[in-house]
Amino acid sequence: MGGFFSIFNEDLLVATIRLSTPITLAAVGATVCERAGIVNIAMEGIMIIGAFFAVVVAYYTGNPWLGLLGGVVAGALFSMIHAVATITFHLDHVVSGAVLNILSFGVVRYLMVIIYGHPGTTEPIAKGLAEYKFAVPLLSKIPVIGPAFFNQTPIVYLSFLTVIFFLIFLKKTKTGLHVRAAGEHPLALETIGVSVVKMRYLAVLVSGITSGLAGAYLSIENSVSFTEGMSNGRGFIALAANISGGWTAIGSWLASLFFGFADALQIRFQIFKVLPIPAEFFIIFPYVATVLVVAGLVRRSRPPKAVGMDFMIEREED
Amino acid sequence: MKKAKLKPIILAGVFLLGAVGLILYIVSLFYGLFFILAAVALYFLYRWLSTDKETVIVEIRKFLKNLTIPVIGISAAIVIGAIIMLISGYDPIKAYRALLYGGFVKNWHISILNATPLIFTGLSVAFAFKAGLFNIGAEGQYYVGAMVATFLGIYLGMPPIFTIPIIFLMSGLVAAAYNYFPALLKVKTGAHEVITTMMFAHIARYLSSVFIRWMGGDSAGTHPYVTNPILDANWLPRFKGLFPDTNYRLHTGILIGIAVAIFVNYILTKTKFGYEIRAVGHNPQAARAQGISIGKNIFRALLFAGFLAGLAGVNQVLGLDHKLFENLSAGYGWNGIAVALLAANNPIGVIFTAILWGALDAGGQYMARTVQISNSIVEIIKGIILFLIVARYIYSWVGNRIKRRKQLASEGAK
Repeated sequence: MGGFFSIFNEDLLVATIRLSTPITLAAVGATVCERAGIVNIAMEGIMIIGAFFAVVVAYYTGNPWLGLLGGVVAGALFSMIHAVATITFHLDHVVSGAVLNILSFGVVRYLMVIIYGHPGTTEPIAKGLAEYKFAVPLLSKIPVIGPAFFNQTPIVYLSFLTVIFFLIFLKKTKTGLHVRAAGEHPLALETIGVSVVKMRYLAVLVSGITSGLAGAYLSIENSVSFTEGMSNGRGFIALAANISGGWTAIGSWLASLFFGFADALQIRFQIFKVLPIPAEFFIIFPYVATVLVVAGLVRRSRPPKAVGMDFMIEREED
Repeated sequence: MKKAKLKPIILAGVFLLGAVGLILYIVSLFYGLFFILAAVALYFLYRWLSTDKETVIVEIRKFLKNLTIPVIGISAAIVIGAIIMLISGYDPIKAYRALLYGGFVKNWHISILNATPLIFTGLSVAFAFKAGLFNIGAEGQYYVGAMVATFLGIYLGMPPIFTIPIIFLMSGLVAAAYNYFPALLKVKTGAHEVITTMMFAHIARYLSSVFIRWMGGDSAGTHPYVTNPILDANWLPRFKGLFPDTNYRLHTGILIGIAVAIFVNYILTKTKFGYEIRAVGHNPQAARAQGISIGKNIFRALLFAGFLAGLAGVNQVLGLDHKLFENLSAGYGWNGIAVALLAANNPIGVIFTAILWGALDAGGQYMARTVQISNSIVEIIKGIILFLIVARYIYSWVGNRIKRRKQLASEGAK
């Protein structure tokens, strides 16, 4: 049993943070998006698009930072299809998201064959973002949490900043208030002269950027190449994290940490073979945890009132 | 009096001609199309005898009108696909010729084989949609159905007339039971089925690997690894026996798929069960006011959707593969969603959209082999078709714009 407890160490916390990063990013995006009233199940597809373009740009420029930018821009652009479809064309949010997920597989498969000549996994990039790991002076020396929070790679830090930024954005800024109103009572927002459409576009854009960043993390920071299907349900887990976190940035982050922990734990269980059962029983652990957490926490909080609802307004000049 | 006597005869003719034409067409005897067209004509004659002329004309017009958006969407997607091919340096005419010839003529049997599981998963998604639920995890139920079918297929040694129905029923029921948990969580806690069924799909995918090893799969051997084969007696009958010229792999699962689609359509449109499902999907508050239990219908819809998706797995195991492959990204769930959305959740429409999807895949492979144009273009064309058909509002939006501009122009002229 000594072997069993030895897996609960500092490294487990480091791995938890690393594995939760993509979920955190997408979950915060989902929070902003759903607070504005748009359900975005396309995040899985946006992540794939972001991951792929990050690798392509990094591969051709040799610069992973440009790759990061490429992933974010590609994710943002792809998310705009969701915005146009749901906001301008009044398509059902879940339907549009599902279609975009399907489209993302197609786009990536096609471009992969055109660019790399084969589907599957791309050629590795010369230098990944993992090589830019840096320790924050002093803070990284704090025992236990120091290495986990302050000796990490760039996008991990970016994910912390994202959480803090959108926590403040939603709670303290005027635009944040407008975004929340767009999901809570869109008509009231429109009455005070703020465009619901604009706020909702903004919110979808935010989710596109964060999901694109999450994708870039998967491909050029946590790895050095892109593999089809590498997002592996994380976009949906992020949705679950947002719901379990009660539609707040900080809650989404905590829930994402939990899912990251579940993932880190299952990997250690597999490696150290703590129980004589097939590895797959460990692999499914994060998925089971997601179901349980969503089922257990969903009642505690209230979703935005107008989430998933179409907003259509009759205007004279339209 | 004469009319009343004629009607059942005509109806029998419709079914007979339709069935014969369908089977002929499926086994690549394309003159079967004439039988099908004759059946359609007879059907409208039957409707004409049952009602009056005006109603029939209205019905035909409605039918044609329902076809316009799909036709526009597919045509637009073909044009966009051609532009994409031109940009990436392929010859679109050569590509489309190979795609259509491969998908609808040369490798038609592969199209049918591809389409069969999609009919079931498409029906599954469409049925849940009718209740306002999104069964995004049909792939998971597919795996559960396939696992049970493999297990029973290996161990159930009885005359096939008993075993095949038992395997279909049992696998479907277990797959339905697999959807019990998402339904329970939805009703008891409000957990969204998009998340729960998706997570359950991932779980089923990984459990299938465990199952395959348990059933004789060797993970150290070839990749993908497979279970032991099922008993020969439990194979679905194949068309080869009746039509010797047909490809030996073509099995009768497609007929089961079509029959199930017709059955689902009947349930949805003609039974109280279907009425309640649709009522809950259409307007839950109004349904509740009518005394229809929402929770009960969520259970019914998700369990039945699970049952249908499970049949897709049975069909692949008993009909095509005769064993279970480790295939962690087969995509029957996602393609089922596409097929259901394309058909606007109409069970009969699902048959056609599934065949379209299957034919695009088969044609794409043929195209890649013969004219060396990557079949990945097909994935893009599929995505664009789907988007253009699903976003129906685009057409009315464009229509309104045009109308508005004309109006402005005429006002300006005054």
